[in-house]
Amino acid sequence: MIKPSSQKTFFVYLCLVIVLIVFMTPIYIIVSSSIKPSPIMFQKPPAFVFSPTWDHYVALFSERPFLKFITNSLIVALGSTAFSLTFGSLAAYALSRIRHKRMNDVAFWILSMRMFPPIAVVVPYYIIFKAAGLLDTPIALIIIYSTANIPLTVWLMKGFFDEVPRSLEEAAALDGHGLLGIFWRVTLPLAAPGLAVSAVFCFIFSWNEFIFALMLTGSQAQTATVAVMSFWSSDAVQWGRIMAGSFVILIPGVIFVLTCQRWLVRGLTLGAIK
Amino acid sequence: MAYSKKRNRNIFLIFLLPAILVLFLTTIYPMLYAGYLSFRSYDLAKPFVPRIFVGWSNYKEVLTSSEFFHTLWITLKLMVMTLSVQLVLGVGMGLLVTQRLPGMGIARTALLIPMMISPVIVGLVWLFLYFPELGYLNYFLSFLGINPIAWITSTEWALWAIAIADIWQWTPFIMMGTAAALTNLSPEPYEAAQIDGNSTWDIFTRVTLPQIKPVLISLMFLRAIDAFRIYDIIFVLTKGGPGDATEVLSMFIYRQSFTFWRMGTGAAASFVSLVVIILLIMLFFKSLNHSRRIS
Repeated sequence: MIKPSSQKTFFVYLCLVIVLIVFMTPIYIIVSSSIKPSPIMFQKPPAFVFSPTWDHYVALFSERPFLKFITNSLIVALGSTAFSLTFGSLAAYALSRIRHKRMNDVAFWILSMRMFPPIAVVVPYYIIFKAAGLLDTPIALIIIYSTANIPLTVWLMKGFFDEVPRSLEEAAALDGHGLLGIFWRVTLPLAAPGLAVSAVFCFIFSWNEFIFALMLTGSQAQTATVAVMSFWSSDAVQWGRIMAGSFVILIPGVIFVLTCQRWLVRGLTLGAIK
Repeated sequence: MAYSKKRNRNIFLIFLLPAILVLFLTTIYPMLYAGYLSFRSYDLAKPFVPRIFVGWSNYKEVLTSSEFFHTLWITLKLMVMTLSVQLVLGVGMGLLVTQRLPGMGIARTALLIPMMISPVIVGLVWLFLYFPELGYLNYFLSFLGINPIAWITSTEWALWAIAIADIWQWTPFIMMGTAAALTNLSPEPYEAAQIDGNSTWDIFTRVTLPQIKPVLISLMFLRAIDAFRIYDIIFVLTKGGPGDATEVLSMFIYRQSFTFWRMGTGAAASFVSLVVIILLIMLFFKSLNHSRRIS
C-alpha cells in the first residue's frame, strides 16, 4: 500500500465523519431520549445539554412488570441457546467428519431451514401450540427460535470443526478414547471459540425476535421486545418509556459488537466469509 | 486406521439424528400442515365449523387477486430499493474503513452496531424520526433546503421510509463483508496496475471489483432472502399502509390470517412465497459453491 496524500486523507476523514453522523444519530437518539424530560422530547433545535431524568426508567419498571419481561426474554434466549448448541454442535461434528457426497446436501438442507420467512409457518405454529396448550409459555418460543438457531450453529461449528487437525483425534483414538470421548475432550475444547460465537448469535437472535413472541405469547410469557411495543398506542405514544426499554434491549448487542467483532463477519454470513 | 471404521460412521449418524429430527418436527411438519390448511376453508373465528376440503380454490383466490400481485410487486420494489443502495453505499463504506488511517478501527466497530439491534427497536427509533409534525428528520433535512416530507402517511414516501430504516440497519453488513474481502486480497495485481499508470477508479473497477465480486454476490443473495422476511419494521412504521402502499408479502399473509382470520388463504399465500424463497436459496447455494471454487 502506498502512503496516502494529505488531500486524500482529508477527503477520507470528511466522508467518515458524514457516515458516522448519519449512522450514529438513531443510536444517539435512543440513548438521549431515554433520559430526556418529556416536555423537551421533540424540542427544536434539539437540546444536546439538559439535566437528565431517570423518570422513564423508573416508570418502565414500576408501571409494568418489565423486569419479568426481561426475565422471560432471558429464559427464552438462554434456553434456545443451550438447546441449539447441544444438538447443533453434535450434528456439525458429524457433518464435518463423515466422508460422503450426500453430506453436502444434508448441510444445505439444514441451512435452508433458517432462511424461510417465519410468517409462512406462524399460522400452523399458532394452531399446533394452541392444541398442545403451549401458547403463552417460554417453551413455545424456545422451540421456534431453535429452528433458526440450530442451522446457524451447525454451519458455524462445521467450519470450526473442519479446522481441527485430524491427527490430534487419531492420537486420542490410539489412546483408547471412544468417539464421544474424543469429541468432548479433544475436538470441542479446540473449537471453543466457535461455541462462544454460536452461543452469542443464538442468544442475540432470540433476544431480539419479535413476530413470534408477539403472536404466541400473552401476559405470562411476554418478552421485552413485545413489552416495549405495548407503550405505543394510536392515542398516546409514551416515547420516554419506549426509548428507555429500547436502550435496555440494545445492551447485549452492543456488548457483543465491542467484544467479539472479529467473529461478526463469520456469524452473519453463516460461515460463508471467514 | 482404527479411527475411521464403519462403526464410527454409524455413531456419527446418531450425532446427526437429533438435530435433523428437531428440524423436521419444527419446520417440515408445520409446512406440511400449512400445505394441508391451504386446501381447506379454515376460519379461526369459527372454530367449530368443519374444515371443508376446497381443492385449489384458496390458490385460485390468491393467484387471481390483484391484491396478491400488488404485494408481490411491493416486495420486489422494496428489495430493489434496499439492495441497490446497500450495495453501492456498503462497498463505498467498505473501501472507506479499510483505509490505513488512525481511528478507522473504532469507526468500523461503531458502524457494526445497527446490525445487532432488534428490528422492532429499529422501527421504533425511525418512527420517532419520521413522526408526523414532531419528528427530527424533516427538521434535519430543512437545513439541506428540503421541504417537509410526509414520510409514513403518504403513499409515495411510505415505502422509502421503510427502505431507509432497512438500509440504515443493513448497509454495515455489506460494508463488513466488503472490508473482510478487501483485507484478504493479494497486493500483487495492485502494484502491477499502479506501475501501468491506471487511475484509482480504473484500479477499482478492473482489479478490486472483479476480485470481490463473488463475495458481493453471496452477500446480496443473503440480503435478498432477508428481504422476503422483512416484517417487524413495517409492522411498527406503517402496518402495510397507507392503504396498501407498503403491504409486502409477509404483511399480506399476516393480514389474511390474523386480521381476516382466513387461515386457508394465508397458508396458500405462504406456500407461493415459499416457492420463491426456495428458488432464491438454490441460487444462493450455487453462488456460494461458485465463490468457494474461486477462493
